[in-house]
Amino acid sequence: MSLALKDIAFSPTRFILTVLGVGFLITASIGMVGIYRGIVDDAMLLVEKVGADLWIVQGGRQGPFSEGSSVRADLDQRVAGVAGVTSARRFLQVSQQFDAPDGVGQMRAAIVGLDYPKDEGNWIDLVAGRSIATGHFEAIADETIGLALGDVVRLNHDDYTIVGITRQMVDLSGDGILFVTINDAMEIAQRRSSEEVLLTRAVMDDAGPEAALSPAANKVAAVLATVDPAADIAAVRASIAAWGDVNVMSRADQRDLLLNQRLWRLRVQILAFTGVLLIVMTIVISLIIYMMTLEKLHQIAMLKLMGARNSLITGMIAQQSAAISFLAFGVGIGLAKLIFPLFPRRVVMAPDDITYLFIAVAVIAACASLIGISRAMRVRAQEVLA
Amino acid sequence: MSATIHVENARKHYQSGDTTVRALDGVTIEARPGELIGIMGASGSGKSTMLLIAGLLEPPTEGEVFFRGERVSCPGADLDRLRAFRRRNIGFVFQKANLIPFLSAIENVALALKIDDVPKRAAHDYAEALLVELGLGHRVDNRPARLSGGEQQRVAIARALANDPPLLLADEPTAALDSVRSRHVMELFRTIADVRGASILVVTHDPRSVDLFDRVYEFSDGKIVATSRRTAPEALAAH
Ligand SMILES: Nc1ncnc2c1ncn2[C@@H]1O[C@H](COP(=O)(O)OP(=O)(O)OP(=O)(O)O)[C@@H](O)[C@H]1O
Ligand SMILES: [Mg+2]
Repeated sequence: MSLALKDIAFSPTRFILTVLGVGFLITASIGMVGIYRGIVDDAMLLVEKVGADLWIVQGGRQGPFSEGSSVRADLDQRVAGVAGVTSARRFLQVSQQFDAPDGVGQMRAAIVGLDYPKDEGNWIDLVAGRSIATGHFEAIADETIGLALGDVVRLNHDDYTIVGITRQMVDLSGDGILFVTINDAMEIAQRRSSEEVLLTRAVMDDAGPEAALSPAANKVAAVLATVDPAADIAAVRASIAAWGDVNVMSRADQRDLLLNQRLWRLRVQILAFTGVLLIVMTIVISLIIYMMTLEKLHQIAMLKLMGARNSLITGMIAQQSAAISFLAFGVGIGLAKLIFPLFPRRVVMAPDDITYLFIAVAVIAACASLIGISRAMRVRAQEVLA
Repeated sequence: MSATIHVENARKHYQSGDTTVRALDGVTIEARPGELIGIMGASGSGKSTMLLIAGLLEPPTEGEVFFRGERVSCPGADLDRLRAFRRRNIGFVFQKANLIPFLSAIENVALALKIDDVPKRAAHDYAEALLVELGLGHRVDNRPARLSGGEQQRVAIARALANDPPLLLADEPTAALDSVRSRHVMELFRTIADVRGASILVVTHDPRSVDLFDRVYEFSDGKIVATSRRTAPEALAAH
């Protein structure tokens, strides 16, 4: 057994506490990065899964993920008529609070409309049940909402039966998605509250009876177009944009919008916080190694007096630093695996991120060793006599 | 036979502020194989400084140090290069045992051998033999904290002897021990000198052990003021 390990075995309590402490810091770092990855993944989920090549949204706007967007519900027919477009689906998303089926408390969901029967929702991964099979009053719920198969929920005067369950289908803010048909979604969006209706009615008094019903009547948020791979997507995009009353966004535009605009501050914030954690970790590990070295200065002087090579002394310090860091890394990962699944939002532990963190911890351990070693090297053998 | 260690006219001056402290002021001593030499004198008289210079831990400000007739230290010498030399040729014992607390007695002794690249097994066996020789056979696996002061000091002596150095330097090795144990340790040094033929320099304040020394140098203000020789054992026996 090496000197380093014997020293550790000599005072195991302190060593274990140190490893635990540093381990928690590592868990926190994994958590920070994981929460970030989780939020990004969740935000991208719908955009990636729904598989649209072009998003046709309200003119002059950035689409439903950025701000309000509403286009006429028959816009899909115009889009479908454009050469190169193979399919056009209507898209609508509304956040809704509703009573739980057992009548106790409230639930939240992001209600997304599927353009049934054009879109039967085959792209949705179900963990239980089936997809939507009729035009009305069936819903697929994400398990995070808290609904079970067969549950019936009342959304805006109508009862919806849960026929399918998904896992980890959430929106940008982490609310579980509840899929219904587009017509149902329009219905839910249209009469979100009677007060809202009254308010608009007052405003739009002279805009005709249809408009007075609701501003959301016969409106969807966007139309999703799939383009023939053989067609020139830029040309398709340009021809739709030429209508002037709509804005066209590609999937890459949506991704960029989400990552670099909507989530930008959050990303910077989380990365900055991770940086702070790594700095704290560096200071903590360095301080521990430095204290352990200070404690042993007398013995180090004795070793020098006995003619020990520097490698024996540097080896002892470096091994202890490595032991603390790498064991703490293991503890950190173990804890992360244990506790993050219990977190309300997804914490993604990507192998790449773990690798980078491991490299960061290795660098931190090396820095800490250097600080201890440089102190140890300044000790003179004569100091034994002091 | 040439002396194991020979310090020739050594001076050591320390500059503190504007005043120069003459810790050593022209001292010549030597120790031959098998000799146990005592160094005595008032506090601050330069005894420890003498050991630092003889032990190649500090170069003298003036003068020279010869080891078995070869010059090893002089003013300005780079002594860090002599680490390996020190490890093979000089053993140190201090007032405090300075054992490594997280190693057992035997590991403390074996470490001195491992530092000198002796294989693990052999180091262990020899360390054990040494501890048995010093009457610590029953204590080999104890950590220093579980040993008495006298036992710790004997482990420290075993460690100093591990590489069979021709020179042993001891700075007040018995200061922390009661008179019985002090005597025991001094007798141990006597035996080591006799049996192993090592040269041993011992700084001590204890006048009761002078009968064991071949020679005693009396220090005062960085100078040797008296040298006394032990009556030859044959002469004692003749009485
Ligand atoms: N590093 C140093 N710097 C300045 N002065 C020193 C230094 N080391 C020793 N001295 C001085 O040199 C003188 C001799 O010191 P030394 O330690 O050799 O005495 P000593 O005989 O061993 O005393 P003691 O019996 O108290 O151990 C003392 O006056 C001491 O203050
Ligand atoms: Mg002294």
